[in-house]
Amino acid sequence: MASSEENEMYSKQWEGCMEIAVQTARTAGQVIREAFKHEKEVSTKSSPVDLVTETDRLVEDLIISSLREKYPSHRFIGEESSAAGEKCLLTDNPTWIIDPIDGTCNFIHSFPMVAVSIGFAVNKELEFGVIYHCLDENLYTARKGHGAFCNGIQLQVSKETDMSKALILTEIGAKRDPATLKIFSGNMERLLKAQVHGIRVIGSATLALCQVASGAADAYYQFGLHCWDIAAAAVIIREAGGNVIDTSGGPLDLMSRRIVAAGTVEMAHYIAREIQTITYERDDHNAN
Amino acid sequence: MADSWQECMELGISIARNAGKVICKALQNEQSVMLKTSPADLVTETDQKVEKMIISAIKEKFPTHSFIGEESVAAGAQCVLTDNPTWIIDPVDGTTNFVHRFPFVAVSIAFAVNKVTEFGIVYSCKEDKMYTARKGKGAFLNGVKLNVSGQTDITKSLVITEVGPERDPKILKTFFTNLEKLLNIPIHGFRAVGTAATDVCFVAAGEADAYYHIGLHCWDIAAAGIIVTEAGGVLMDTDGGPFDMMCRRIIAASSRAVGEAVAKHIRAFPCARDDEQIGVHANGN
Repeated sequence: MASSEENEMYSKQWEGCMEIAVQTARTAGQVIREAFKHEKEVSTKSSPVDLVTETDRLVEDLIISSLREKYPSHRFIGEESSAAGEKCLLTDNPTWIIDPIDGTCNFIHSFPMVAVSIGFAVNKELEFGVIYHCLDENLYTARKGHGAFCNGIQLQVSKETDMSKALILTEIGAKRDPATLKIFSGNMERLLKAQVHGIRVIGSATLALCQVASGAADAYYQFGLHCWDIAAAAVIIREAGGNVIDTSGGPLDLMSRRIVAAGTVEMAHYIAREIQTITYERDDHNAN
Repeated sequence: MADSWQECMELGISIARNAGKVICKALQNEQSVMLKTSPADLVTETDQKVEKMIISAIKEKFPTHSFIGEESVAAGAQCVLTDNPTWIIDPVDGTTNFVHRFPFVAVSIAFAVNKVTEFGIVYSCKEDKMYTARKGKGAFLNGVKLNVSGQTDITKSLVITEVGPERDPKILKTFFTNLEKLLNIPIHGFRAVGTAATDVCFVAAGEADAYYHIGLHCWDIAAAGIIVTEAGGVLMDTDGGPFDMMCRRIIAASSRAVGEAVAKHIRAFPCARDDEQIGVHANGN
């Protein structure tokens, strides 16, 4: 059993990594800010609405290469590497989990909600998260056991337990077939009928999750997001006092492509009970 | 004539900025929330205080002008647009966001003479974004000229809408049928940020390609409407017909083609016109 001294040393290692993550996120954010003003060349991935640009790939390469230089033995899970065929396998090894541009559709349209997300796990446990809103230049950070912050100001989730006073965020995901859309609408409709204050859709899962962490929204739920959308935000929300669970009501499963996050456990479970599942292939589906 | 509207506009901008400061300060505090037409139709003391502040500041300089303000109308004032110079005011667009401290809250001030909008001001206060447009002189965000995206292809469009405070099951059904029809086209995606004025300004800024909404009010879109048209966009009714500020329906789009494509896929539910409430609060007039 590790002593508290050993735990502290162990945890301090990751502090250094987090500082590098912050610098890297800011640098990447600047590249994205510059590219924002220009014409973007767009391609599609899994569907006509699953979009990607050269900037996504460039920024991911930039992040991974600068982290690899400092930490050559670490492993990397990145959105674009994964799209290029790399396995999405989380081992015990220190692993960086990266979304170079969360909100690519927003980026393409210059809709001003775009973030860099860098998560970090060791022994399959999420240790810290960094999310950088590239346009507002808001930096959200959290390290396990050390609180969550936005630009240095401590974050605290909402304590709301009453659904009829909730502001809820969600996103639609890449699947747009009629059956999926029916479930997606049905979920929103059910929550509205429960008299929630409102539902918002901003186009970036990580920034939406940060709104939950800051207490400006009471909950977030989504089907279809990826481990690189969840990894950093999960730490930030937990460290701000909130809850992240699976949509089934069980514990969060990083590779499951789904999440419910809320300020209170009551709110999280209420939403999990109300929503019907939209199934997406697991991120680690090819990682045996 | 044009000179005196410029003076009005400058006053409007300065008042919007001051109102924004009051709202941002209030954003730091807990809000006492009241309900209007439904459990999701919220109003606070800040809404009422800011509207009074705006109207009295304008009345001091322009005592003969008329006013249409969200909270005044809620308190029984008439919502009639005459030829008289008229200020159309939403003191806090995005009250639900305001209550939750969700960072999209705007002051909206429009000015019409002979029923024609002369200028519009939308101040998204948390973001410190001042959107303005003067008829014939273009639209601006913090002094930088705005242009709509110019997108003509609905399948490459980002569309914004809002649910609003309606919770009637039939109305929700219409809302979701509309949304599913658009997503099925397909479109790139949809957004809902919680303030109509800011939503339309996203279209004006070229950051989204269309906004549609059924059930909103004249004070939500009077200012943003001229901002989007001065940025090169179009306004229309949800059936593709001409836009009518009092009819509670709008499409604001980057092009006629995108606007008409949206209109083709959505159906409106019935809404009482804003200027149809005349009899409701009448004192025998």
